[in-house]
Amino acid sequence: MWKWIQRQASPKVFYRTCTKLTPWFLIPFIVLGVVGLYWALVVSPADYQQGDGYRIIYIHVPSAIMSMTVYGIMAIAGGIGLIWQIKMAEVVAKVSAPIGAAFTIIALATGSIWGKPMWGTWWVWDARLTSELILLFLYLAYMSLNNAFDNPRTAAKASSILAIVGLVNLPIIHYSVKWWNTLHQGYTVGTGGLKDPDMGIALGIMFLVFVLLYAALVTIKAKTEVLTREQNSRWVKDLVNGERS
Amino acid sequence: MTLMEYFSFLPYGKYAFYVWSAYGVAFITVATLFIRARSHHKQTLITLSNKYSRQND
Repeated sequence: MWKWIQRQASPKVFYRTCTKLTPWFLIPFIVLGVVGLYWALVVSPADYQQGDGYRIIYIHVPSAIMSMTVYGIMAIAGGIGLIWQIKMAEVVAKVSAPIGAAFTIIALATGSIWGKPMWGTWWVWDARLTSELILLFLYLAYMSLNNAFDNPRTAAKASSILAIVGLVNLPIIHYSVKWWNTLHQGYTVGTGGLKDPDMGIALGIMFLVFVLLYAALVTIKAKTEVLTREQNSRWVKDLVNGERS
Repeated sequence: MTLMEYFSFLPYGKYAFYVWSAYGVAFITVATLFIRARSHHKQTLITLSNKYSRQND
């Protein structure tokens, strides 16, 4: 296993691995996506307080958890690139950023839509919401810093440092509902907040769907990034000429 | 008539507008990610193949 991971440092091997892995993530994503949506929208019962309005939880919570997880992965991959000079780690960090930003946008947008009927407002400057918004800005800052350099290695170095510094925001988001008296509700998962087992199952499946979505997108986007970075190597030339002819 | 009432014919009644728009936003965002990833990959292949054919000339 360790040997297999080490071999992934080679762009050519990594490209091939991504090609092989994509369907293993994409197909389960589609199948579980349909099952998860059915469980979330049909099987699970209405909430005793929020009625059917609570159903937004099935995309809001998984996307919010993933927005933070992806940031963690991005910072760790960036760190690996900085310390061990592994270019493929830099690729993973770079392609994770837009996916994580999209998850953050989904979390913020669905949260805002959920807030309107439950709190009576689309937005408040509450600790949880504000720290999640800062996460979005961190992603955007990472992406623009990464695009600001012509040399991909320099870009990766500068943006990885930014990502690592931004890690401090993750515990702030997580504990914000505990540390401050927020309008945002406290923890749902692990506190008996989901009263019906079907709610737990639906949330579990939807979480898995978001994990698979991230994995599938990383393998797809990493291939493009590897091609761009390695455009002067023989195997990329052969591969591009082969695909275009 | 508020938005809440207008869309109440859909499943989930008074919450229909909010639930469906939340799922809609998520769907559009995910679809955009896939479409962009695909078009970026295609564009990269075209750019590189043009570059290589110029080098061969």
